[in-house]
Amino acid sequence: TFLFPVDIMPLRFCLMVNKQGQTRLASYYEWMPIAERTALESEIIRKCLSRSELQCSFVEHRGYKVIYRRYASLFFIVGVDTVEENELGILEFIHALVETLDKYFESVCELDIMFNLEKAHFILDEMVMNGCIIETNK
Amino acid sequence: MSGSHLSREFFALVKAIGESKSKQEEDRIILGEIQTLKKALSNPPSADKASTSGASSKKKAKEFLIRLMYVEMLGHDGSFGYIKAVELAAAQSIVHKRVGYLACGACLSPDHEFRFMLINRLQRDLASENILDVCAALAAVVRLITTDMVATVVNDVTKLLSHQSDLVRKKAIIALHRLHQLDQANISAEDLTGHLRRILCDRDPSVMGASLCVIEKMTIKNPAPFKDLVPSLVSILKQVIEHRLPSDFDYHRIPAPWLQMKLVRILSLVGKGDKSSSEGMYAILADTIKRADTGINAGFAIVYEVVKAVTIIYPNTTLLDVAAEAISRFMSSNNHNLKYLGVTGLAMIVKDHPRYAAAHQLAVVECLDDPDETLQRKTLELLFSMCNPVNVEFIADKLLSFLKDTNDDFLRRDLTQKIVTISERYAPNQQWYISTIITLFSIPGAGELVSPSIAQNLMSLLAEGGGDDDEEEDNAMRAAAVETFVNLLDEPQMPPVLLQTLAWSLGEYAFLLDGIDLAEIVENLCTLARRPVIDDQSRRYLVTAVFKLVSQLGTYPPCAARLVDDFTTSRDPILQQSCNEFQALITSNVQLLTSVFPVDASCEDVGADSGLSIAQAYVDAALARGMNPYSPPPDGGSDSEADEGGEASKPVFNMTPYERPDTKPLQAQQAALNPSFSTSTESSVSGEGASG
Repeated sequence: TFLFPVDIMPLRFCLMVNKQGQTRLASYYEWMPIAERTALESEIIRKCLSRSELQCSFVEHRGYKVIYRRYASLFFIVGVDTVEENELGILEFIHALVETLDKYFESVCELDIMFNLEKAHFILDEMVMNGCIIETNK
Repeated sequence: MSGSHLSREFFALVKAIGESKSKQEEDRIILGEIQTLKKALSNPPSADKASTSGASSKKKAKEFLIRLMYVEMLGHDGSFGYIKAVELAAAQSIVHKRVGYLACGACLSPDHEFRFMLINRLQRDLASENILDVCAALAAVVRLITTDMVATVVNDVTKLLSHQSDLVRKKAIIALHRLHQLDQANISAEDLTGHLRRILCDRDPSVMGASLCVIEKMTIKNPAPFKDLVPSLVSILKQVIEHRLPSDFDYHRIPAPWLQMKLVRILSLVGKGDKSSSEGMYAILADTIKRADTGINAGFAIVYEVVKAVTIIYPNTTLLDVAAEAISRFMSSNNHNLKYLGVTGLAMIVKDHPRYAAAHQLAVVECLDDPDETLQRKTLELLFSMCNPVNVEFIADKLLSFLKDTNDDFLRRDLTQKIVTISERYAPNQQWYISTIITLFSIPGAGELVSPSIAQNLMSLLAEGGGDDDEEEDNAMRAAAVETFVNLLDEPQMPPVLLQTLAWSLGEYAFLLDGIDLAEIVENLCTLARRPVIDDQSRRYLVTAVFKLVSQLGTYPPCAARLVDDFTTSRDPILQQSCNEFQALITSNVQLLTSVFPVDASCEDVGADSGLSIAQAYVDAALARGMNPYSPPPDGGSDSEADEGGEASKPVFNMTPYERPDTKPLQAQQAALNPSFSTSTESSVSGEGASG
């Protein structure tokens, strides 16, 4: 499916999905055709929704490791390769991302992302390039 | 702030999507949007306003593209609009340009020809005076360049590694790595490593941090070129944990946690299996783990990274103890995420240092029963690492029960493999091994994943016995296996590997089981063989088993007779053949049955009489009647040995050209038919006679 040589890329995708399963932002670090993306997104959100607060924030899905965290109505979801990634480090990265969005949008909410899709992408793209976390400095 | 800068239409779109209650409604909205966008595409804004039309049409274009991205994000195709994205990337304003590049990166597939249209644009932007343009282009390079495009930008990107802006340098090294991933010919590992070493010493920590990402990936592939970097990496890590970076690198008072994790990770990769490199890092690792212990997640993430590193590099007891202690605290925490890390960390330690497992037995079992599926899975991995001859039965049991309950293919494959591995490695005795493997076969979904060689091994094991020549013990083992199989006879679904092993075992050894009624077994096998869903190979095994049992029984039960009769007309030619043969045997030569199907003789060599001595009497009789003896043909088949003798020394191919054909009669004929036909075509008709 992936037409690029899939090298070791820590992050495969980064998603923001609300609890109705509507995708609000999707950034993929390897090419995936549209139909596959939407299928993947809906499966993952279903899995995340079925877990409780008490369970850990990591889920395995189809050969990916998925790290997620919920902020109000929005799930922030990152998919990584199953090979030896530091899940807690990624979880904290999600938090750092949210803090950054918070600062920029002054207490970010789902609507902010929707009305400023391109800006949200730009912020994310400053922090993650080629699937690597390159910037977390405020 | 939210929606005020958007056009009314866009605002309405976003509002509608946000408020939609169902997928169908959302789809309706999007399809409507697609129509609107298509119309906008075919009616470009009127060019009446001279200077502002440029700006406002770009603004419209930017909005168009964002709406297009919405369309695709919600699952619909927006390819009609891609061309606009390419156009907008050529805009002057950085805001517009970035949106153009963003849309291109998100929408254009790797084989889309529009990607090539961007090359010129990218080259211009990479060389631009405006830093923001350069940055936008570098980000686009990562998303959009394909292998055959690498050569067009590699030089520009390489030059940017020494750009004065740290933003640019940071992105350039990542982009260069991407190019290397796509095409090693244009930018080799050595070249890249050379650049990396320089950038590691960059005065800006962000740039240095970006180089670490790349170094990490390259070290995974090949640590050798980076071994001498250990002192530099140690020194950088030291500076970070001693708070010597600017304070805006702090995250909740922890200095640059992701940088710390990256550095530790690289050190672990370099130190793996390398004693001298590892010794250079013990001190800094101990220091890092101590300072990271701050009670917040980011700190724990660093601790976990160090724990991992400690288990990978050349072992050091003090560090291992520290790591084990950290794991203890993780596992006993109430926070599930930490429990998860504890289990994973423990799995890594016990692989090479099993002694640490003992203290945590209870905690591990608790995790196994935890309702959290992710935690359970990780605990299974841990169990697999901890397996030894003492606990293998318990662990195999757990793995099997999880295998039964899961529907996830990846997990099934993984567990099946693990069960096979530990059964073969740690089985306490043959009987247990056999029954475990049979159970594995019979789990729906798993039986198909087991390689057929496992089935072969099982059958060999049963046939050859335990190896210590204790016939009684061997027979007990076989009887036990047979019993298990008998209990499976009514199973509705059996994978081929199970059916075949079952059929073979019953055919060979059913008689060993006390109290068994062979006739009943035959009936069961007949029923099985008639199932339409089983594959041909399995059916043959089953029918052969029926043959064997019939031979052992000494009687020919009617169900078997019917079966054989029916299958003489089977679609499967092999089955047909064997049934026909069996029928022939049983009707005319019943006494041969026992020698054709000897009991428990699967290991004996089949003696083939290649001289066909049985036919000798016939031959002798014929010769006596005066027939000619057989004379084998001369040995002229091989062409490697040149012809014996001097004959055929002439080359086989005819090297002299054929004579030119005599075309005069033909020409005369043609002239007669068509007087205007010229004779100058003579030269084209004849050519050189081809040789051979």
